[in-house]
Amino acid sequence: MISCTEFIPAYSELFKYIEQKENKAAVIEFWNYLSDVFLTSLKDLVATNGIRGCWMYWSKALAEEAADFTMELDEDAGEFSITMHHCPSKGRLLEYKHIEPYRDYCEHCDFLYRRVLEPLGFKYEIDLSQTHKAQCHITVKGDKEFGKLNGN
Amino acid sequence: MAKQTLTRKASDNKYYHKDFHIALNFGIEYLKEKFGKEAVKEYLVQFADAYYSPLRKELKEKGLIAIKEHYEKIYKIEDAKFDMSFSPEELIIYLFASPAVMHIKSNGHRVSTLFRETVLTVNKTICRNTNYDVEMIDYNEKNGGYQLRFHRREN
Repeated sequence: MISCTEFIPAYSELFKYIEQKENKAAVIEFWNYLSDVFLTSLKDLVATNGIRGCWMYWSKALAEEAADFTMELDEDAGEFSITMHHCPSKGRLLEYKHIEPYRDYCEHCDFLYRRVLEPLGFKYEIDLSQTHKAQCHITVKGDKEFGKLNGN
Repeated sequence: MAKQTLTRKASDNKYYHKDFHIALNFGIEYLKEKFGKEAVKEYLVQFADAYYSPLRKELKEKGLIAIKEHYEKIYKIEDAKFDMSFSPEELIIYLFASPAVMHIKSNGHRVSTLFRETVLTVNKTICRNTNYDVEMIDYNEKNGGYQLRFHRREN
Protein backbone atom coordinates (compact mmCIF):
# COMPACT_ATOMS: atom_id res chain seq x y z
CA MET A 1 0.00 0.00 0.00
CA ILE A 2 1.22 3.46 -0.82
CA SER A 3 0.72 5.60 2.27
CA CYS A 4 -0.77 9.05 1.92
CA THR A 5 2.55 10.21 3.40
CA GLU A 6 4.23 8.84 0.25
CA PHE A 7 1.82 10.51 -2.15
CA ILE A 8 3.92 13.56 -3.02
CA PRO A 9 6.74 11.62 -4.69
CA ALA A 10 4.09 9.49 -6.44
CA TYR A 11 2.44 12.70 -7.65
CA SER A 12 5.72 14.19 -8.87
CA GLU A 13 6.60 10.97 -10.71
CA LEU A 14 3.13 10.93 -12.27
CA PHE A 15 3.76 14.35 -13.79
CA LYS A 16 7.07 13.10 -15.17
CA TYR A 17 5.45 9.98 -16.57
CA ILE A 18 2.68 11.89 -18.35
CA GLU A 19 5.19 14.32 -19.83
CA GLN A 20 7.33 11.42 -21.09
CA LYS A 21 4.25 9.81 -22.66
CA GLU A 22 3.17 13.03 -24.37
CA ASN A 23 4.30 16.51 -23.39
CA LYS A 24 3.84 19.36 -20.90
CA ALA A 25 0.40 20.14 -22.33
CA ALA A 26 -0.72 16.66 -21.29
CA VAL A 27 0.45 17.34 -17.74
CA ILE A 28 -1.61 20.54 -17.69
CA GLU A 29 -4.56 18.59 -19.06
CA PHE A 30 -4.17 16.21 -16.10
CA TRP A 31 -4.03 19.12 -13.63
CA ASN A 32 -7.24 20.49 -15.10
CA TYR A 33 -8.89 17.09 -14.76
CA LEU A 34 -7.73 16.77 -11.16
CA SER A 35 -8.97 20.25 -10.35
CA ASP A 36 -12.44 19.35 -11.65
CA VAL A 37 -12.78 16.05 -9.84
CA PHE A 38 -10.69 16.55 -6.69
CA LEU A 39 -11.26 20.15 -5.60
CA THR A 40 -15.04 20.02 -5.36
CA SER A 41 -14.93 20.82 -1.64
CA LEU A 42 -13.00 24.07 -2.28
CA LYS A 43 -15.48 24.98 -4.98
CA ASP A 44 -18.47 24.28 -2.72
CA LEU A 45 -17.00 26.16 0.24
CA VAL A 46 -16.19 29.26 -1.81
CA ALA A 47 -19.49 29.19 -3.69
CA THR A 48 -21.33 29.12 -0.35
CA ASN A 49 -19.10 31.28 1.86
CA GLY A 50 -17.29 33.58 -0.53
CA ILE A 51 -13.67 34.32 0.22
CA ARG A 52 -14.09 32.86 3.71
CA GLY A 53 -14.42 29.52 1.94
CA CYS A 54 -10.70 29.78 1.07
CA TRP A 55 -9.92 30.18 4.76
CA MET A 56 -12.12 27.19 5.62
CA TYR A 57 -10.63 24.97 2.93
CA TRP A 58 -6.96 25.74 3.52
CA SER A 59 -7.26 25.71 7.34
CA LYS A 60 -7.99 22.01 7.14
CA ALA A 61 -5.76 21.09 4.21
CA LEU A 62 -2.65 22.90 5.45
CA ALA A 63 -3.08 21.54 8.98
CA GLU A 64 -3.28 17.97 7.64
CA GLU A 65 -0.26 18.63 5.46
CA ALA A 66 1.65 20.01 8.46
CA ALA A 67 2.60 23.12 6.54
CA ASP A 68 4.62 26.04 7.87
CA PHE A 69 2.53 29.04 6.83
CA THR A 70 0.73 32.28 7.61
CA MET A 71 -2.80 32.65 6.34
CA GLU A 72 -4.67 35.99 6.32
CA LEU A 73 -8.29 36.78 5.68
CA ASP A 74 -9.74 40.27 5.29
CA GLU A 75 -13.38 39.92 4.35
CA ASP A 76 -13.96 43.69 4.23
CA ALA A 77 -11.28 44.03 1.62
CA GLY A 78 -12.27 40.73 -0.01
CA GLU A 79 -8.76 39.35 0.29
CA PHE A 80 -7.23 36.09 1.34
CA SER A 81 -3.58 35.12 1.27
CA ILE A 82 -1.24 32.31 2.15
CA THR A 83 2.43 32.92 2.78
CA MET A 84 4.00 29.50 2.61
CA HIS A 85 7.16 29.64 4.70
CA HIS A 86 7.95 26.01 4.01
CA CYS A 87 5.78 23.90 1.74
CA PRO A 88 5.57 20.34 3.07
CA SER A 89 5.24 18.89 -0.42
CA LYS A 90 8.02 20.73 -2.20
CA GLY A 91 10.09 20.60 0.97
CA ARG A 92 9.91 16.81 0.97
CA LEU A 93 10.81 16.60 -2.68
CA LEU A 94 13.83 18.81 -2.13
CA GLU A 95 14.92 16.69 0.84
CA TYR A 96 14.93 13.39 -1.02
CA LYS A 97 18.42 12.60 -2.23
CA HIS A 98 17.39 9.73 -4.48
CA ILE A 99 14.65 11.32 -6.58
CA GLU A 100 14.49 14.45 -8.66
CA PRO A 101 11.26 16.50 -8.39
CA TYR A 102 9.28 17.09 -11.57
CA ARG A 103 10.77 20.25 -13.09
CA ASP A 104 7.53 22.28 -12.90
CA TYR A 105 6.09 20.55 -9.84
CA CYS A 106 4.83 23.70 -8.13
CA GLU A 107 2.87 24.85 -11.16
CA HIS A 108 0.10 22.41 -10.28
CA CYS A 109 -0.91 24.80 -7.49
CA ASP A 110 -1.40 27.50 -10.10
CA PHE A 111 -3.53 25.43 -12.47
CA LEU A 112 -5.59 23.49 -9.92
CA TYR A 113 -6.75 26.40 -7.76
CA ARG A 114 -7.04 29.04 -10.49
CA ARG A 115 -9.43 26.75 -12.36
CA VAL A 116 -11.72 26.59 -9.32
CA LEU A 117 -11.55 30.18 -8.12
CA GLU A 118 -11.58 32.33 -11.24
CA PRO A 119 -14.89 31.01 -12.65
CA LEU A 120 -16.39 31.95 -9.26
CA GLY A 121 -15.32 35.54 -9.81
CA PHE A 122 -12.12 35.63 -7.77
CA LYS A 123 -8.70 36.77 -8.90
CA TYR A 124 -6.04 34.21 -8.09
CA GLU A 125 -2.34 35.03 -8.03
CA ILE A 126 0.58 32.85 -7.06
CA ASP A 127 4.23 33.81 -6.76
CA LEU A 128 6.36 30.76 -7.52
CA SER A 129 9.68 32.59 -7.68
CA GLN A 130 10.97 31.08 -4.41
CA THR A 131 9.90 27.46 -4.82
CA HIS A 132 13.55 26.35 -4.84
CA LYS A 133 13.33 27.20 -1.12
CA ALA A 134 9.89 25.52 -0.80
CA GLN A 135 8.27 28.94 -0.42
CA CYS A 136 5.44 30.58 -2.31
CA HIS A 137 2.72 33.18 -1.87
CA ILE A 138 -0.93 32.92 -2.87
CA THR A 139 -3.38 35.81 -3.03
CA VAL A 140 -7.09 35.52 -3.72
CA LYS A 141 -9.08 38.71 -4.27
CA GLY A 142 -12.80 38.54 -4.43
CA ASP A 143 -16.11 40.27 -4.17
CA LYS A 144 -16.17 42.56 -1.13
CA GLU A 145 -19.94 42.46 -1.12
CA PHE A 146 -20.26 38.68 -1.01
CA GLY A 147 -20.29 38.42 2.78
CA LYS A 148 -22.81 41.23 3.19
CA LEU A 149 -25.13 39.82 0.53
CA ASN A 150 -25.06 36.43 2.21
CA GLY A 151 -25.53 37.81 5.70
CA ASN A 152 -22.12 36.63 6.92
CA MET B 1 -15.56 41.88 9.93
CA ALA B 2 -12.16 41.71 11.56
CA LYS B 3 -9.06 40.56 9.84
CA GLN B 4 -7.96 37.06 10.74
CA THR B 5 -4.45 35.68 10.75
CA LEU B 6 -3.32 32.13 11.35
CA THR B 7 0.31 31.05 11.58
CA ARG B 8 1.35 27.44 11.98
CA LYS B 9 4.67 25.66 12.04
CA ALA B 10 5.17 22.19 10.58
CA SER B 11 5.67 20.84 14.10
CA ASP B 12 2.18 22.04 15.16
CA ASN B 13 0.46 19.28 13.19
CA LYS B 14 0.92 15.65 12.18
CA TYR B 15 1.62 15.07 8.49
CA TYR B 16 -1.37 12.96 7.55
CA HIS B 17 -3.55 14.17 4.68
CA LYS B 18 -5.80 11.23 3.86
CA ASP B 19 -7.32 12.94 0.83
CA PHE B 20 -4.06 12.19 -0.97
CA HIS B 21 -5.40 8.63 -1.29
CA ILE B 22 -8.28 10.08 -3.31
CA ALA B 23 -5.89 12.06 -5.52
CA LEU B 24 -3.81 8.95 -6.22
CA ASN B 25 -6.95 7.03 -7.13
CA PHE B 26 -7.89 9.78 -9.61
CA GLY B 27 -4.37 9.64 -11.04
CA ILE B 28 -4.59 5.88 -11.57
CA GLU B 29 -8.01 6.19 -13.17
CA TYR B 30 -6.83 9.03 -15.43
CA LEU B 31 -3.88 7.02 -16.73
CA LYS B 32 -6.11 4.01 -17.36
CA GLU B 33 -8.64 6.04 -19.34
CA LYS B 34 -6.11 8.11 -21.30
CA PHE B 35 -3.27 5.68 -21.93
CA GLY B 36 -4.62 2.21 -21.04
CA LYS B 37 -4.08 -0.38 -18.34
CA GLU B 38 -0.44 -1.02 -19.17
CA ALA B 39 0.37 2.64 -18.60
CA VAL B 40 -0.81 2.35 -14.99
CA LYS B 41 1.61 -0.50 -14.39
CA GLU B 42 4.38 1.26 -16.28
CA TYR B 43 3.92 4.39 -14.17
CA LEU B 44 3.87 2.45 -10.91
CA VAL B 45 7.06 0.61 -11.91
CA GLN B 46 8.72 3.94 -12.69
CA PHE B 47 7.56 5.46 -9.40
CA ALA B 48 8.52 2.44 -7.29
CA ASP B 49 11.89 2.09 -9.02
CA ALA B 50 12.69 5.67 -8.12
CA TYR B 51 11.10 6.19 -4.74
CA TYR B 52 11.68 2.79 -3.14
CA SER B 53 15.28 2.37 -4.29
CA PRO B 54 16.56 2.79 -0.69
CA LEU B 55 14.10 0.10 0.47
CA ARG B 56 15.26 -2.25 -2.30
CA LYS B 57 18.86 -1.65 -1.23
CA GLU B 58 17.90 -2.49 2.33
CA LEU B 59 16.09 -5.63 1.17
CA LYS B 60 19.27 -6.77 -0.58
CA GLU B 61 21.38 -6.07 2.49
CA LYS B 62 19.12 -7.11 5.37
CA GLY B 63 16.57 -9.43 3.79
CA LEU B 64 12.83 -9.53 4.42
CA ILE B 65 13.08 -7.76 7.75
CA ALA B 66 13.46 -4.56 5.70
CA ILE B 67 10.02 -5.08 4.13
CA LYS B 68 8.52 -6.04 7.48
CA GLU B 69 9.82 -2.89 9.16
CA HIS B 70 8.74 -0.70 6.26
CA TYR B 71 5.13 -1.88 6.33
CA GLU B 72 4.92 -1.88 10.11
CA LYS B 73 5.80 1.80 9.95
CA ILE B 74 3.37 2.56 7.11
CA TYR B 75 0.46 0.69 8.69
CA LYS B 76 1.06 2.42 12.00
CA ILE B 77 0.91 5.83 10.30
CA GLU B 78 -2.29 4.80 8.53
CA ASP B 79 -3.77 3.19 11.66
CA ALA B 80 -4.33 -0.04 9.72
CA LYS B 81 -5.34 -3.40 11.19
CA PHE B 82 -2.83 -6.02 10.09
CA ASP B 83 -0.94 -9.14 10.99
CA MET B 84 2.37 -10.56 9.81
CA SER B 85 3.99 -13.94 9.76
CA PHE B 86 7.75 -13.63 9.46
CA SER B 87 10.76 -15.81 8.93
CA PRO B 88 13.99 -14.91 7.09
CA GLU B 89 12.67 -16.97 4.15
CA GLU B 90 9.07 -15.79 4.03
CA LEU B 91 6.97 -12.82 5.07
CA ILE B 92 3.21 -12.97 4.86
CA ILE B 93 1.29 -9.74 5.37
CA TYR B 94 -2.39 -9.74 6.18
CA LEU B 95 -3.94 -6.30 5.77
CA PHE B 96 -7.53 -6.63 6.92
CA ALA B 97 -8.78 -3.46 5.23
CA SER B 98 -6.89 -0.84 3.27
CA PRO B 99 -7.11 2.61 4.88
CA ALA B 100 -6.63 4.05 1.38
CA VAL B 101 -9.56 2.19 -0.15
CA MET B 102 -11.78 2.80 2.86
CA HIS B 103 -11.06 6.54 2.76
CA ILE B 104 -11.74 6.77 -0.97
CA LYS B 105 -15.02 4.91 -0.57
CA SER B 106 -16.15 6.75 2.54
CA ASN B 107 -15.85 10.00 0.58
CA GLY B 108 -18.18 8.69 -2.08
CA HIS B 109 -15.63 7.92 -4.80
CA ARG B 110 -15.38 4.82 -6.93
CA VAL B 111 -12.15 2.93 -6.43
CA SER B 112 -10.25 2.34 -9.67
CA THR B 113 -10.32 -1.29 -10.81
CA LEU B 114 -6.53 -1.01 -11.08
CA PHE B 115 -5.99 0.32 -7.55
CA ARG B 116 -4.72 -3.11 -6.48
CA GLU B 117 -1.69 -2.45 -8.70
CA THR B 118 -0.55 0.11 -6.13
CA VAL B 119 0.08 -2.99 -4.02
CA LEU B 120 1.16 -5.73 -6.44
CA THR B 121 3.10 -3.80 -9.08
CA VAL B 122 4.78 -1.61 -6.48
CA ASN B 123 5.93 -4.56 -4.37
CA LYS B 124 6.99 -6.59 -7.42
CA THR B 125 9.12 -3.64 -8.44
CA ILE B 126 10.67 -3.32 -4.98
CA CYS B 127 11.68 -7.00 -5.22
CA ARG B 128 13.12 -6.69 -8.73
CA ASN B 129 16.82 -7.60 -8.95
CA THR B 130 16.82 -8.96 -5.41
CA ASN B 131 16.78 -12.51 -4.07
CA TYR B 132 13.11 -12.09 -3.17
CA ASP B 133 9.77 -12.09 -4.93
CA VAL B 134 6.19 -11.38 -3.90
CA GLU B 135 2.80 -12.77 -4.78
CA MET B 136 -0.67 -11.56 -3.98
CA ILE B 137 -2.52 -14.47 -2.43
CA ASP B 138 -5.75 -12.60 -1.86
CA TYR B 139 -7.26 -9.19 -2.55
CA ASN B 140 -10.59 -7.99 -1.21
CA GLU B 141 -12.20 -5.68 -3.77
CA LYS B 142 -14.64 -4.36 -1.18
CA ASN B 143 -12.19 -3.00 1.35
CA GLY B 144 -8.80 -3.28 -0.35
CA GLY B 145 -7.52 -5.75 2.23
CA TYR B 146 -4.92 -8.20 1.00
CA GLN B 147 -2.63 -11.05 1.74
CA LEU B 148 0.88 -10.66 0.34
CA ARG B 149 3.54 -13.31 0.43
CA PHE B 150 7.17 -12.26 0.10
CA HIS B 151 9.58 -15.16 -0.29
CA ARG B 152 13.05 -16.07 -1.38
CA ARG B 153 13.27 -16.69 -5.12
CA GLU B 154 13.70 -20.25 -6.26
CA ASN B 155 16.84 -20.75 -8.30
